Amino acid sequence: MATTTLEPRAGSYRRSWVIDWLTTVDHKKIGILYIVNSFLFFFAAGILALVIRSELAVPGLQFVDQDTYNQAFTMHGTIMLFLFIIPALSGFGNYIVPLQLGAPDMAFPRINALSFWLLPLGGLLIFSGYLFGGAAAEGWTSYTPLSNRAEGVGTDLWIIGLTLVGTASILGAVNFIATIFKMRAPGMTLFRMPIFVWTILVTATLILLATPVLTAGLIALFIDRNYGGSFFDPSVGGNPILWQHIFWFFGHPEVYIVILPAMGVVSEVLPVFSRKPLFGYKAFVFATIGIGLLSFSVWAHHMFTTGAVALPFFAFMTTLIGIPTGVKMFNWLATMWRGKLTLATPMLFAIGFLSMFLIGGISGVMLGQPPFDFHVQDTYFVVAHLHYVFFGGAVFGVFAATYYWFPKMFGRKLNEPLGKVHFWIHFIGFNLAFFPMHQLGLDGMPRRISDYDPNAGWTLLNFASTVGAFMVAVSVIPFLINVIATFINGEPAGDDPWEGNTLEWATTSPPPAYNFDRLPPIHSERPLFFLTHGHGHAAARPADLEEEEADGPAATDDKPGDIERRPEDLV
Amino acid sequence: MLRAGLPTLLIALLASGCLLPPQPATDAGQDVFNLYLIVLALAAVVFLGVEGFIIYAVVRYKRQPGDDVLPEQHHGNNLIEIIWTAIPTVIVLVLFVFSMNALARVEARAENPGATIVVDGFQWNWTFRYENGAQVNSQGGNPPDLAVPVGEPVRLVLNALDVNHAFYVPQFLIKRDLIPVGENGTPNELEFTVTEAGTYAGQCAEFCGTAHADMVFTVTAMPRAEYDEYVEALASGSPPPQPGGGDCETTIAITANNTQFDIDAFEVPADTPFCIEFENQEAVPHNVAIYDGGEALFTGEFLNEPGSITYEVPALPAGEFRFICDAHPQAMVGDVTVTE
Repeated sequence: MATTTLEPRAGSYRRSWVIDWLTTVDHKKIGILYIVNSFLFFFAAGILALVIRSELAVPGLQFVDQDTYNQAFTMHGTIMLFLFIIPALSGFGNYIVPLQLGAPDMAFPRINALSFWLLPLGGLLIFSGYLFGGAAAEGWTSYTPLSNRAEGVGTDLWIIGLTLVGTASILGAVNFIATIFKMRAPGMTLFRMPIFVWTILVTATLILLATPVLTAGLIALFIDRNYGGSFFDPSVGGNPILWQHIFWFFGHPEVYIVILPAMGVVSEVLPVFSRKPLFGYKAFVFATIGIGLLSFSVWAHHMFTTGAVALPFFAFMTTLIGIPTGVKMFNWLATMWRGKLTLATPMLFAIGFLSMFLIGGISGVMLGQPPFDFHVQDTYFVVAHLHYVFFGGAVFGVFAATYYWFPKMFGRKLNEPLGKVHFWIHFIGFNLAFFPMHQLGLDGMPRRISDYDPNAGWTLLNFASTVGAFMVAVSVIPFLINVIATFINGEPAGDDPWEGNTLEWATTSPPPAYNFDRLPPIHSERPLFFLTHGHGHAAARPADLEEEEADGPAATDDKPGDIERRPEDLV
Repeated sequence: MLRAGLPTLLIALLASGCLLPPQPATDAGQDVFNLYLIVLALAAVVFLGVEGFIIYAVVRYKRQPGDDVLPEQHHGNNLIEIIWTAIPTVIVLVLFVFSMNALARVEARAENPGATIVVDGFQWNWTFRYENGAQVNSQGGNPPDLAVPVGEPVRLVLNALDVNHAFYVPQFLIKRDLIPVGENGTPNELEFTVTEAGTYAGQCAEFCGTAHADMVFTVTAMPRAEYDEYVEALASGSPPPQPGGGDCETTIAITANNTQFDIDAFEVPADTPFCIEFENQEAVPHNVAIYDGGEALFTGEFLNEPGSITYEVPALPAGEFRFICDAHPQAMVGDVTVTE
């Protein structure tokens, strides 16, 4: 598409590059800030993972003492979840959602900047415990009364930092919801929104409902620790189980906060690289909403062994989540069925997501069965499960998104051979690191232990897992080389390098500050596909298209008789 | 094509090799094990079906170079959506029924369990208290051992003294949390019947702070007669609390609080019995024991609650020894110097 660049008025002020990025309210720059910030925290938390895995490679304490180990896994979990995966996907949401909606920016650009800048602040506060006598060391779940009794300011800094991060995501969620409901391009009904936007909408709703609960719980814990509150400490009449309810009432929807946007990314990538529409778009939307609703009724499956929850109810609701998830999986498979698959790096990561998230989903249904959970709760089986969901699922989604949208963000395509090297080392390393943990858990190795008995028979699998973890670390090297090399001398991407379906591909790469000169008409969830191919059949109607295009975006409001229908509606 | 297949094949091989829990040593564990086999079979079907299709699709539908013809644009099909909503629904409902059946058996409570034993979990050790008042603590860095009768329902009352812990014996295939419930709460209980005599390793499964990894114990299941004998010997073996102010030439005062001794060294004359006035100021089990390397020279009785006791310690030869709290061998340690 032709674009015109708007030049600032002659003689207008010039700002330094640094000030420009620090003060920006452009959703695209904020999106990139989110993503860069997330990757920095990813590397930091990844180093902590290597500390953990090094210590566990063989029995005995070789590298760190018990407290350091406990701090390492606490920080690893906290940082990975709250400062890498969630913000990384929010970052892509920030960059892509306004573009996919055909909007010039987010609804509240300044709030957008605020919700980003709270993140590094919160993250650094959480990390700063290391400077003041030791970081928090109670696990990312910070169960009471252990966290009531933990000494040192590390835990207080953890609480304050997380409160800021939580506030940031609440603000971000409000912004997403407002943007999605109020700023869609003319003609884009809810059921013509790209599926990624749908997943962000449901995610934002979950954040809005769940995160304030965690934030309130954190503040209660802070009061308990510092001002003699008695919410959670049983020695003064508090209830330690209450914290678990509060934490998991947030914590389980949080799993979907993490995974839904990754599902959205995969649902964008699979159709484009299969050259087919997403199979069962509406079913997919309803499944997404269904997962969102169910996510609020399953939290206590994290508490089966506390003896304090209604097992049949929570087991039933948990098992039900398998249904919409299964529907999604079938729709993804059907999208590839009879398609024409291009196995570029984004597609590899998307297929990697399908095959790895499947394992996490299956082990999740297994863990939802209370008798089995009695055996493997708090063992490495849970560690394996959650990494297949968060890493095999969400992180594969983050990399799929990175390779997929990088050309849009920077105008250059990441190098394909390097991308494939990255994928395969990452994929094999990931499985080597985490698949053996299923067996360790079945054998009864508890999580969060710094050492284990050499006679327990856990050594070989732990060693394999450590090798896998280092492979994952090594896989980052080709990725970083790829990013740097692409900035220096990457292949120019053009506006639409992948033959995309959605509006972000209808503008330049990178897009101008105001995003669009003009918008194509929107008659389906694939406006770009419609533009190039008509309705997916040879029977494109160039005459109509030209007429609509000539009217420009201002005139794309659908007149009553003018609404296009998708073929299946006509059948 | 092979590239996508190989890792998946690897996973499948790994999976077929093992993926089983240990052979259960309890009846509840047997129910868990049987349920797991059903779950694993369903999981394997879903896993192989989906992964198989992914590999098939990648191989079969790969776009050929130069192929610019669009594939047919399927947008969806309501009938198919209904069918594949029904498939997982049936799977999970079947699973739920099996699971609830197993749950009912695992959770079944005997009217008269063969033994009711109180398990005190605390940072970072265990005390097992029997019905006749006998109790077992860890000693000399060895994990405490819980004796139970084999072939009879055993009920454990799970009492947390400070933070959350979990009682877990992998070969029993069950665990339950110990949660501090305050004065008015009811502690959790766990019931099982050990089906095979033997010694089983267990450890705390709920993260409980610094030395969580050290919080290990063993369970020894033995025939009824042996069990009765053992518990009785245990009860008669523990001396009755001695009245304070024994007749001692040398008396050392030691206080325990916040999992710390107030002193880290003391000195006594050789070959002379002496007394230790030991005060425990918190509701966590502590004692004083004197060790020469791994060998216990003296083991004082445990105080589970705040209180005082006077230990009469037999004469020691000259030398350097250690005194520890048997429940906290890492945190509560000091030096004993016995001089000529």
